[in-house]
Amino acid sequence: MRGGRHILWLKVLWVGTVVTALYLPIVSVVLASLANTRYMRFPHKVWTLDAYRAAAADYTTVTLHVISLQIAVCVVLLSVTLGTIGAMAYARHDWRGRGLFQKILVLPIFFPQPVLGLALLLSMSALGIAPSWKTAVVAHAVWIVPIVTLVISIRLFGYDVAQEEAAFDLGASRWQVAREVTLPALWPGIFSGALFAFLLSWSNLPLSVYTSGADTPLPLWLFSRTATNYSPLVPAIAVIGTCVSGLIVVMLLLMRRLLAGKNQPV
Amino acid sequence: MTHLPPALSLTGLTRRFGTKTAVDAVSIDIAEGEFFTIVGPSGSGKSTLVRLLAGLDVPTAGSLHLRGRDITDMPANRRPTAMVFQSLALFDHRTVGQNIEFAMKMKGVPPEARRARALELLRLVRLPEDYYPRPVTQCSGGERQRVALARALGSDPEILFFDEPLSAIDYRLRKTLEVELKELHQRTGKTFIYITHSLEEAMVMSDRIAIMRAGRFEQIGTPDEIYRRPHSRFVAGFMGEVNILPVSQAGGGAVFTDLGLAAPGAAGAFAVLRPEAVRPGGDAGVGFDAEVTQRLMLGSRTQFHLRAGAAALIAEVAAGPQADLQIGQVARFSFDMADIAWVDA
Repeated sequence: MRGGRHILWLKVLWVGTVVTALYLPIVSVVLASLANTRYMRFPHKVWTLDAYRAAAADYTTVTLHVISLQIAVCVVLLSVTLGTIGAMAYARHDWRGRGLFQKILVLPIFFPQPVLGLALLLSMSALGIAPSWKTAVVAHAVWIVPIVTLVISIRLFGYDVAQEEAAFDLGASRWQVAREVTLPALWPGIFSGALFAFLLSWSNLPLSVYTSGADTPLPLWLFSRTATNYSPLVPAIAVIGTCVSGLIVVMLLLMRRLLAGKNQPV
Repeated sequence: MTHLPPALSLTGLTRRFGTKTAVDAVSIDIAEGEFFTIVGPSGSGKSTLVRLLAGLDVPTAGSLHLRGRDITDMPANRRPTAMVFQSLALFDHRTVGQNIEFAMKMKGVPPEARRARALELLRLVRLPEDYYPRPVTQCSGGERQRVALARALGSDPEILFFDEPLSAIDYRLRKTLEVELKELHQRTGKTFIYITHSLEEAMVMSDRIAIMRAGRFEQIGTPDEIYRRPHSRFVAGFMGEVNILPVSQAGGGAVFTDLGLAAPGAAGAFAVLRPEAVRPGGDAGVGFDAEVTQRLMLGSRTQFHLRAGAAALIAEVAAGPQADLQIGQVARFSFDMADIAWVDA
């Protein structure tokens, strides 16, 4: 029994260490945002919300979020569409070059992102395309579509394609088959894929550095201001940005719960 | 004499995949209300054939008529037929009720009517009504079979197809479901077209059986005809354990090559002889001495593996004093020429 208690204490200690290691940096950012000096020193002489007032008053705050959000939304739509189609082709049909397709598909994930970003910037300038938030969407998609495709195709592996034939045999049109059988089966995969796509795009720095041009997404602004012109405004906006993305994820989860509730058998 | 057109009429139905011919010019009429079973080994083209019949695949050549109407180019969703799939292909994210009602929902039948019919079908396939709201994922193997059957019946099909639905079921449950399926066929009066690799399963249920080999029907007949008068060694081989004795011409007439006995009146190159036709004692037409090499108790019968000259034979004897032979014993056995089915190949 004494041994059991020992193990329990070790478990508590271990979990506590892990949680602290995960959350201490975030807590530090929140603490840094409550200071009024350009130099990070702790404890603060003055505790203040000035940085948040400044952030709320500054038009940049809104612009940064809008740019990041529009990139993320476009990436989600693009990667979910392409990912679903790709996953279906991959998991449902056995075609020549299927194995090769899988390898080529996951290759961009193994590329160091700064290299990928530079490569994309070079090819875009070669094509005469000026970088903007739209080119950042393309850059993010290059990296995120493979991930989303993998996430959705995992869902398709336990899936009996004969279900679609059965629905067709029972009088469903092609469109009804997709709506009644394929999409409901894929929906959890599509949802997880969308969540991944959003979060990976929202927090991406190395690809945006090269490809977003004059439009500055949130992580890029945070990076450059930390490097060159630091003030408590930086951690304050970081905290706001984290809250915004957290809120969006919570909203998506609620939406999913609601939709699932509607489809529940009575 | 009725003049109903056949429920399904196949004319030269062919399906090729590249250079391989899976279904080779199959022609047959299947009567209204018939239980027709196609038996074949894997790769014989039986699954391809049933997919052509259901409209899930398009024939390379030939035509298909349902009650006289040409349905060759009609896709599966417009054909008044339904299939029970090998994997069952139940809609996993739905309830038993939603599965059964699927075809009716596609037709736009109102919910109350759908529900009433679904409950009726649950009774028909012997599932309790309280299964209606259950997710199909919570059903056992046998229950899933019944749900799949009820779902197919839910489209009120004129013909039901079965693509080896019982192949993954254990022996005892399969026997039960075979009988239930036969009873269901009798109650509904619908045309059933059933695919299986087991002649035993086909025998129990069918009005007529077609033995399929390399894309063609090798023999079509009632279970009794197939059992008693197989047309070839291939068909005979499907019946499980059976004696096939080669016959050759020597001197004056035909002889059983391996037994070294005369075969008066031989009408083919091989004699197909059922194990129960080989009897202990010498009272039948052809008698020979044989050594018992194996003795297997089968319940109501005992099976003996025999060696006589160069021939190895199987005999099955009903329980009784005659079945007392032991391994290593030499005894007299005989069979009647009239019990032989003659085949040439």
